[in-house]
Amino acid sequence: MGIIMILFTLIGGITLSAQSAINGSFSRKAGTIETTFLTFITGSMFLALIILFFGQGDIFAIFDAPLWQLSAVFLGVLFLLFNVFAVTKIGVIATSITVIIGQLVISVVIDHFGWFNSLIIPLDTKRWFALLFMLIALYFIFKGNKRSIEEANKPE
Amino acid sequence: MRFIAYIFALLAGMALSFEGAIYGELGKNIGKLETSFYNFIVGAIILGLLWLFFGRGNLSYVVKAPKWSLLGGVLGVVYLTAIVISIPFVGVGITMVAVIIGQLIMSMVIEHFGWLGTNKVKMNREKVLAVISMMIALILVN
Repeated sequence: MGIIMILFTLIGGITLSAQSAINGSFSRKAGTIETTFLTFITGSMFLALIILFFGQGDIFAIFDAPLWQLSAVFLGVLFLLFNVFAVTKIGVIATSITVIIGQLVISVVIDHFGWFNSLIIPLDTKRWFALLFMLIALYFIFKGNKRSIEEANKPE
Repeated sequence: MRFIAYIFALLAGMALSFEGAIYGELGKNIGKLETSFYNFIVGAIILGLLWLFFGRGNLSYVVKAPKWSLLGGVLGVVYLTAIVISIPFVGVGITMVAVIIGQLIMSMVIEHFGWLGTNKVKMNREKVLAVISMMIALILVN
């Protein structure tokens, strides 16, 4: 079960990166807020159809759900706004790497304490090593991008 | 000022993980697809307001744009639904590492070939090493 979940999530990452590429092209002509707005609208339309045919939950239970569970949507919007702000000041690469650091570090912390009633997975030695390899990966991303930019700017 | 931008980027990343963990719970409550739907509908409302008051771009470009460039939303649906399903099973840590590996590999491929309107950026040794290190991290985190 775990492996299938991981593969499924990998696909989620793949589609997310295709989304940023596509939205990047669209936003150059239409603007950032406009692009994000459109993304949410078309996403809602697709999901409305999918839920009509395959939805097994209860969308009206939303009115009984605790408010803290509904607040997550503001975190998503906060991400978008903070991200746009940071990109204008420090650039895309520095922003993505910093975002990933925040994302990964807090995710193992959430697991460790089991916040929000989630699974409790302790931050053991193995996970500390995992964090170390994540940092190594981010270092290589930084180096790799720097090299790409240098090569792109090199006169032919 | 740059320092503040780094703090904001860090908070942005933390927001993503918190969002995933919280939606994992909402998903158990009202259903996974329904949770995605909630996010996209309410997100559209918030962005609609932001657009009305602060939008300086050109939304009408939507009718002239190439059709493939309108597919961002449906791709975002796959991502959000995947994490809502996965987090209650394997936790936030594994889910986020897996998402990032998917992103890393795909963005390298997209840029290498210059797909989807991106500037062509060649793959290099460092980027491949980054993916390998991230995969080691996934194995250790699991």
